Amino acid sequence: MIIGKNIHKSFGDLEVLKGVDLHVEPQEVVVIVGVSGSGKSTLLRCFNFLEMINSGEIIIDGKTINPKKDDLTKVRAEVGMVFQHFNLFPHKTVLENVIEAPVTVKKMKKEEAEKLGMNLLRKVGLEEKANVYPSKLSGGQKQRVAIARSLAMEPKVMLFDEPTSALDPELVGEVLQVMKQLAEEGMTMIVVTHEMKFAKEAADRVVMIDQGTIIESADPKTFFENPQNERTRQFIQLVE
Amino acid sequence: MPELLIDVYDVFMRTYPGFLRAVVVTLQLTAIGVILGTVIGLIFALMKISGSKILRGIANFYITVIRGTPLIVQIMFLYFGIVEFYTMSNFWAGAIALGVHNGAYIAEIFRGAIQGVDPGQREASMSLGMNRKQTMQRIVFPQALRRSIPPLGNQFIITLKDSSLVYIIGVAEIFSLANREAAQSYQFFESFLVVGIYYLVLVMIFTFLLRLYENKLDVDRA
Repeated sequence: MIIGKNIHKSFGDLEVLKGVDLHVEPQEVVVIVGVSGSGKSTLLRCFNFLEMINSGEIIIDGKTINPKKDDLTKVRAEVGMVFQHFNLFPHKTVLENVIEAPVTVKKMKKEEAEKLGMNLLRKVGLEEKANVYPSKLSGGQKQRVAIARSLAMEPKVMLFDEPTSALDPELVGEVLQVMKQLAEEGMTMIVVTHEMKFAKEAADRVVMIDQGTIIESADPKTFFENPQNERTRQFIQLVE
Repeated sequence: MPELLIDVYDVFMRTYPGFLRAVVVTLQLTAIGVILGTVIGLIFALMKISGSKILRGIANFYITVIRGTPLIVQIMFLYFGIVEFYTMSNFWAGAIALGVHNGAYIAEIFRGAIQGVDPGQREASMSLGMNRKQTMQRIVFPQALRRSIPPLGNQFIITLKDSSLVYIIGVAEIFSLANREAAQSYQFFESFLVVGIYYLVLVMIFTFLLRLYENKLDVDRA
């Protein structure tokens, strides 16, 4: 579904990704872990071209994307992204946030988009908040709206960039619950997170990034119980 | 002291018909200055954040020159300097000078407000498949506009007061009327006190309206 081949990415002199290969199958849920600064968020941002790779290849749904030739807005429309800090549009209501892209990008009729939006808000348990502004929501509610907003574009794959890191501990569960539900429904997902419980329960595969390369990739059970790499062992000890 | 108050009252009663006509001129100058300044400001703000080096250069040059020279020089230059190529009325020369002057400051207000919008907003918009134009029009500008309302209001008040400088080219706004009144009656204290009150009241009305508008925005989407 989404493939990264030998991805290199530098910011100035700092090489953040040093040849990353990641192959994500349709309906697969891949959790990426690693210490901060390891390049895991950068990798995610490369997959929807918020960052441009220096070399390598990104293949989405069988098509190699050429950032210079291809219409990146079309590519991004098919790759959903959920951010650590939600990034809801503060000047729009919850429902307006959700229907913004379908109406603006897909030219969907407003009534149709609103119906879709309400269905998605029901899915994330927030239909009663449709007409309030984001500032009136808790962090967990904001993130659930952000997920609904992303789903409104019916993406082929969803990227989650530390979706619970900015939340108070008691609000983490409600967001993970929505993500688990998505995983069960067969959404292809790449999730950067520090929530090891989510990795164990919802991931098909856990990937460890260290200093810009993937050093471990295994099913959750193998990853946590029998890691091959010394750095992975240290990391697991650190977070558990 | 009571006599002085009576004098002020007399000057006020004697001059208010003229002042009411002059207030209209002052408000017209301010309105044109503000509207023209906003249009110019928006254009130059967009040039300043554009990808083109040439456009950025032009915008920087304009802002540097206008902010680096006094308004009174710009008024005189426009009225007496440009007259060699093109004649215009003193009212329009003054109004355009105010607009051009304001434009430089308003450009910086808009630029700051646009760049002050959280980069995450642009990223979220782009990640949903919106292109640059849609992102600017629907996500960035509405938020930037809200951010720029308080400093714009401040700039509008400055424009109202700066319109007094146009007296130098003989436009019959309220300061020129006070000046003439003082010169004719030798009641300098009373005349300038009265005109000061006119400005103060106009600014207070304007501040009040601005606050109503800001409160309305806050109530809508706090």
